[in-house]
Amino acid sequence: MPLLMRRLAMVLAATTLSFTPAIAATSAPAVTQEYDLKAAFLFNFAQFVEWPAQAFASPTAPIVIGVLGEDPFGSGLDEIVEGETVHEHPLVIRRYHSIAQIDSCQILFISLSESARLDQVLKALGHRSVLTVGEARDFTDRSGMIGFDLVQRRVRLRINLVAATDAGLTISSKLLRQAQIVRTSRGSN
Amino acid sequence: MSAPRGSIRQKLVTAMMLTSTTVVILTGAALIIYDTISSRQSLTRRLTTQAEILAANSTAALAFENTDDARQLLSGLKSDPSAVMAALYDRRGQLFALYPADAPASMAPAAPGKVGSRFESQTLVIIEPVEEDGRMLGTLYLKSDLRALTVRRRVFALVVLLAAAGSVAVAFVLANWLQSGIAGPVRLLANAAEQVAQGRDYSVRAKVASDDELGLLSNAFNGMLGEIQQRDAALRASEASLRQLNSDLERRVQARTAELQVSNRELEAFSYSVSHDLRAPLRHVDGFADLLTRHAGPSLDDKSRRYLATISDSAKSMGVLIDDLLSFSRMGRSEMQHAHVSLREMVAEVRQGMSSDLTGREIVWEIGDLPDVVGDAAMLRAALTNLLSNAVKYTRGRSPARISIGVREENDEIVLYVRDNGAGFDMAYQDKLFGVFQRLHSAEEFEGTGIGLANVRRIVQRHGGRVWAEGKVGEGAAFFIALPRAGSAQAQHEEAA
Repeated sequence: MPLLMRRLAMVLAATTLSFTPAIAATSAPAVTQEYDLKAAFLFNFAQFVEWPAQAFASPTAPIVIGVLGEDPFGSGLDEIVEGETVHEHPLVIRRYHSIAQIDSCQILFISLSESARLDQVLKALGHRSVLTVGEARDFTDRSGMIGFDLVQRRVRLRINLVAATDAGLTISSKLLRQAQIVRTSRGSN
Repeated sequence: MSAPRGSIRQKLVTAMMLTSTTVVILTGAALIIYDTISSRQSLTRRLTTQAEILAANSTAALAFENTDDARQLLSGLKSDPSAVMAALYDRRGQLFALYPADAPASMAPAAPGKVGSRFESQTLVIIEPVEEDGRMLGTLYLKSDLRALTVRRRVFALVVLLAAAGSVAVAFVLANWLQSGIAGPVRLLANAAEQVAQGRDYSVRAKVASDDELGLLSNAFNGMLGEIQQRDAALRASEASLRQLNSDLERRVQARTAELQVSNRELEAFSYSVSHDLRAPLRHVDGFADLLTRHAGPSLDDKSRRYLATISDSAKSMGVLIDDLLSFSRMGRSEMQHAHVSLREMVAEVRQGMSSDLTGREIVWEIGDLPDVVGDAAMLRAALTNLLSNAVKYTRGRSPARISIGVREENDEIVLYVRDNGAGFDMAYQDKLFGVFQRLHSAEEFEGTGIGLANVRRIVQRHGGRVWAEGKVGEGAAFFIALPRAGSAQAQHEEAA
């Protein structure tokens, strides 16, 4: 890791939440901060999204937040979720390496490492009521439901409302207010 | 009708005005207080609701750290001019968004403070938690000024003030109108009473203007007046008739008195002239009887001489009788000469004068301590002479005769008594003792004209005194003369009558 780059990233991170994926890969503290924020967002989604009743085995079944592929959060996600419940559902973190491992899952963060296989992953999920969250620029265009975006040094959301609706999920209007709604034609996937 | 100060009318109006004004003021004050409280409450409620809505809408903005959205949400407050400032704090208490957007961050408090609502100087502050599913996401701070409240209070106070002024004015008119129902009849009654008191005119009646208690009072007053009027009339009538009766009586008494005086004078003049005129022929009878006795006495037989002697005695006796009558008449008419008289000396003089009658008599005199009195000396001497000669005369058969003279002083009179142990008299006839020509003994037994005691009585009466006698047949008699102690004045009065 070049020293100069690291120094620059540290300076930037110290002043603002300013980074790029390129820098993120090389600047550990700033990246950690970004992913702490994203982890919090993942947890917050549980509060602003409604799943159909059949998505849970029981009213007290856990809301599973799955991370598919390389985990960028470290222990941050676990710390946020620790001991939390939403609507009586305890929150649980699961880490998957392949699509086949996914059984009961409500929120699935698809890591950048899975970008190449994104279409297959989404197809495999089909119309299961799983809120898919991704980081790729074209995540929502490719029928991912919520995409993280960095706009003017801030984490912004993109939402593919059609995809979410098709999966039987109801996204709170309050959440929708925070996001850019992406319109894609149905059946593009 | 002018109302004097402190009149019932004024008191009634004052009472009603005080009552109504107090009620209006209290009601107004209560209304203002109530309105202030309730408008504060409703403002608090309204602002709290606004804060709650804003907080509920802000959850996602806070959750996803979207300050733009937060500012946008807060800018919705623009429609409420009383919203002065609003601030959103994140869960860590850091300022997240501010309204108005261009306000400096220093305007918002460093920390949101305790949740709830509170009134600060001219502002209302609401601090509302921002929660999603009971999860604390941040805090909303909302500050509103109380301009609306102040304006509302002013308008309300003005309305209440106007209403109060109007109510007081209406109350004044009503009070003036209502009081006439009470004060009017009272005044009529008072006027009537005053008229009665001033004019003593009991024909006045109070006008009965209503059939309430005042009407009852007026009726009772009128009834009372009627009663008084009747009694007054009856009193006046009886007074008039009494006065009439009195004056009639007086007139009659005067007339009678005048008649009596006239006839009395006539009678006295008649008896005087008769007595006087009778003396001349009587003197002739006596004189010629005497001459005849001297001239033809020796030639007449005893019987004729006795007849002549009887004629002479009778003429002499008649002369005494006429003298007595004249004296009696004089006693009634002559002027009284008042002076201090010593009874002791007078009794001695009278006894001296009677010495011829006392020869050959054995009389025991018991004479007590005799005081001085005021009276006509000649008259008193005549009376005393009469009483003493009576005593000597009626004790003729007693040996020794016992005659006591004394004075008993009583409260307002001096009582002189002459007591003897002579023939006495029957108390049944004591009334007749002092009458003219009234005699209890025959002239053969005890000589006399029957005028003596009548004369005594007349003399004593002219002195303002009284006489009486006590006695028992064969055991003696006592004669009493009571003279008033202040004798002169009453004697004068007696003489005038």
